Amino acid sequence: MVTYYKAHAVADALEVLGRTDVEAKALLGGTDLLVGLGDRLDSAPGVVVDLKGLADGEPLAVTESGVRIGLTVTMADLLADPTVSTWYPALAQAAGEVGSVAIRNRATLVGNICNASPACDTAPALLVHGAQVRIASAAGERVVPISEFFVGPRATTCARDELVTAVELPRPVPGTGSAFQRLTRRWGVDLATVSVAAAVHGDGRIQLGLGAVAPTPLLVDVPAGTDLTDRAALDPVLDEVLAVATPISDIRAGADYRAAMVRELAARTLRAALDSTRRTQA
Amino acid sequence: MGDALKAQEVGTLRPDGNVGTRTKRYGGLERASGAQKYAADLDFPEALQVAIVTIPVGCADILGVDTSEAEAMPGVVGVLTAADLPSPMPRFGVSHKDRPVMADGRVNFYGEPVAAVAALTQEQADAAARAVTVDYRELPGVYTLDAALAPDAHLVQDPSDPTKRAGDPLRETNVIEEQTIAWGDLTEQEAKAALVVEDSYSYPMMTQFPIEPLAVIAEPTDAGGLTVYTPVQHPYLMQRIVAGLIGKTLTQVHVIAPDPGGGFGGKQIPKYEPLMAFLALKLDRTVRLTLNLAETTTAIRRAGAKVHARTGFSAEGDILFHHVVIDYQIGAYADVAPRVMTKGSYVGGGPYRLPACRIEARAVLTNTPVSTAMRGYGAPQISWATESQITDGARRLGLDPARVRLRNLVDNGEEFVQGEFAGKADGEWKEAVVKAMELAGWDDPLPPNRGRGIAVGIKSSATSGLSQSLVRLLYDGSAIVYAGTSDMGQGARTIWAQTVADELGVPVGKVQVISGDTDLVPFDLQTSASRSTVFMGTAVLRACRDVRRQVREMYAERVGADPGDIDDEPGALLTPEGAVTLDEAARIGLGALRGEVLGQGTCRLEGRKGHPLGGDASFYEFNCTISEVELDRGTGQYVITRHVSVSDVGTELNPIQVVAQEEGGAIMGLGQADMEQLVFDEHGRLLNASAIDYRVPTYKDVPLELLTGSVENHDGPGPYGSKGMSEGPILCTGAALGAAVTAAAGVKVTDLPLTAERIWRATRAAAEGAIA
Repeated sequence: MVTYYKAHAVADALEVLGRTDVEAKALLGGTDLLVGLGDRLDSAPGVVVDLKGLADGEPLAVTESGVRIGLTVTMADLLADPTVSTWYPALAQAAGEVGSVAIRNRATLVGNICNASPACDTAPALLVHGAQVRIASAAGERVVPISEFFVGPRATTCARDELVTAVELPRPVPGTGSAFQRLTRRWGVDLATVSVAAAVHGDGRIQLGLGAVAPTPLLVDVPAGTDLTDRAALDPVLDEVLAVATPISDIRAGADYRAAMVRELAARTLRAALDSTRRTQA
Repeated sequence: MGDALKAQEVGTLRPDGNVGTRTKRYGGLERASGAQKYAADLDFPEALQVAIVTIPVGCADILGVDTSEAEAMPGVVGVLTAADLPSPMPRFGVSHKDRPVMADGRVNFYGEPVAAVAALTQEQADAAARAVTVDYRELPGVYTLDAALAPDAHLVQDPSDPTKRAGDPLRETNVIEEQTIAWGDLTEQEAKAALVVEDSYSYPMMTQFPIEPLAVIAEPTDAGGLTVYTPVQHPYLMQRIVAGLIGKTLTQVHVIAPDPGGGFGGKQIPKYEPLMAFLALKLDRTVRLTLNLAETTTAIRRAGAKVHARTGFSAEGDILFHHVVIDYQIGAYADVAPRVMTKGSYVGGGPYRLPACRIEARAVLTNTPVSTAMRGYGAPQISWATESQITDGARRLGLDPARVRLRNLVDNGEEFVQGEFAGKADGEWKEAVVKAMELAGWDDPLPPNRGRGIAVGIKSSATSGLSQSLVRLLYDGSAIVYAGTSDMGQGARTIWAQTVADELGVPVGKVQVISGDTDLVPFDLQTSASRSTVFMGTAVLRACRDVRRQVREMYAERVGADPGDIDDEPGALLTPEGAVTLDEAARIGLGALRGEVLGQGTCRLEGRKGHPLGGDASFYEFNCTISEVELDRGTGQYVITRHVSVSDVGTELNPIQVVAQEEGGAIMGLGQADMEQLVFDEHGRLLNASAIDYRVPTYKDVPLELLTGSVENHDGPGPYGSKGMSEGPILCTGAALGAAVTAAAGVKVTDLPLTAERIWRATRAAAEGAIA
């Protein structure tokens, strides 16, 4: 039998999550957790800690220096925010691909990264946007770059007595463009077979965030100055930078198809990111 | 064939009637609002919840089942194992009686029940089911057609078991049935052929994927019998099978079948009902089993197939011969599944004028869940190969694939299956092709990366059947119709209400439709093979005419007229003094005691011994489908830009329901063509039972433009010249989509589903071949 616990404050939630006598799981939108519970598994947690009603849960906050996304902020909230779609097109595009309208109304960004699927839709975008993850515990708070947050499939650096309270995104350098694309087996409501976010930063850096091609989402750098408009020249560069990808074969796709598709989507998203810098400049 | 039915008066549409109009769905508001009670919504406060115990392999000898720990767990009321059942193990099946109530010493497919636990709550039952220890030894099961047909393959059914395959000449193999349909001289025709196309095709196993998962409630009655609630397409067959297994009379087994939330053939054979019956009787308690989506996906499926085909063409595009070898993957028990092979392969030559044809078909047992009927029966599997062959032949000859089909299609009355058990066209099928070509803009040029494909499909409907109906015309002019058809979304209740309204002159809103209850509603064989409009429709029509006859006689007697002077028509009596509405005439006839008029109607079609279909088809469903795609060459993904489906329906009894069935069938067919497949691992475990990895189309996967049409020549055997039509749009969807992909990609894909990855591989292989 699973016990439901409604937490009213972060401290309250941390206390239950930190208990050692019972397996506790945090509940936000529930779009991953409840599917798992429905499978009637032995591994069901003893306590589900509902965080949706936290009095001290942070909202979506926009400042001069960036955006702070509290743990109850949903994908739909991100999509509705004009600053998010202006500053972080890749994230807005990724959030818009998560599940369906109904799922996006429930699913949260923090829940999405804490679920830590290698195919997590928002992770590639957060990687290229340089996100920082704020993690609270009874001992205080720490901040981890998103590139160090994921440690394996379904595993993050957030310990069982800790709680991710927010994701922070720095304001992009002027002239930055970004884009996200993913490959799915059908057009509606699917998990990514491969996903790629690209950012062409105003300071010249070019980055790719890769999903579903390694145990964790990956961040790779593309050499500055690479001509993103010349596919023939770009492909060998991509072959080199994408060598870190170690896609597997599973029920969703073969490894070689994933490898070919990550390159295809990388080329396409880089071009789209470049085009979006031109749009912001124009 | 249909003549037996057609000989009856089928009636003509009333110009001011309900039939032929877009009458609103009977019970549609309840379905749309969620008020409709499906089986899982029924409340049984005293019921025990049941969990099924299975083992994680597809083939194993059971060495022992230890239930002691489970029985001691909180809330557990009882556990049923094979040891609780009569010996030998009771078996059931609609045509082959080979399926055990639960695993009989050996598990033969993944998901086969080994034990069942009943507890006060579902959580307790689930926990206790996990605590049942099953000691087993895995066997080298056969999970694919190739494995099952290999020399020295593990035999799925023990050839020495007298209850199963004694006397069967094929018993030392995994082939449970075979059939060859042949005519003409292949060799002679091949000598004349300008082109011979030869290829191999595969069609995967799929699940029916009803949105309503399976649920069964078995409730002991005071009379020592059972009431079984189960959302099935065959309540009367279910009643007969359960009564036979537990040794009760039909009156002691009451089957209540709530309208299924989608059936598609998957709710047409008993599965857990026999087990639940024994469990309820053992515990003398109401027991309830509610499967989740993954369990339902594991429990029901369509047969996969492997096909090899050779087809010869003249330079002008005449099909000279067609030779097909097809194996259907049936599953661990036969039940009714071999009929999928016999019916599917009968139409394997397609609706063409073929000088020579040979279809060699086998139904093959494997250690996979039991397959059964699914929309289209065995036709989509074989049509995938046959129609892909025709497309390939046309392409290689530089001919238009639509016109090659028109050139070879049989005319109305012409044989497309020759020989003793010939099959003849019973409609103007070319009209459907012409109409589809018009809707699709067949001859319009396409932009780059687009492709268009055409295919035609044919399926024989029911070859025997019995449907009975009662119609009560009440004193106030309202009416009740009892019709055992299961309304699983196709809108059967609406059609009966429309028919009764028109035949008796009752407003459609004053007709009540009762179905799904073997205690209340007279017999109907089952809701399958798109039979209901023709069979039950005729029974309802006859029941209405019986009401009219009785009203005429009662009225004549009451007013002292000669019944011979009075005629009747839909909704009225025609007397020498003028027309009297039927309800008024009924009131006069019934007199002071009031009461009601009770009419009865029966539609019966006997089968024909020795016929590969079990009899002549009551009618054929014919469909033409055209698909158009835009391909992304970099990824192999494609968008279905336009899809056209046109069926010969005889007469549209309710145009909006015809469109809904045509669209629903087309979308389901597209899902089965572009994404659906069940994948088993080397232990026979189903890898993608969940909604996450068993993909069905979402609204975003529907074609950008979905156009449907009907051919109406009022030439069907059903009421008002109708034919059944709900399977037509799925018969050849795969081949039409495949042809469109081939046209866009320049490569032929011979395996379904047509996934982006598969297309990417085919184009890459073709490119590498071109370089090499």
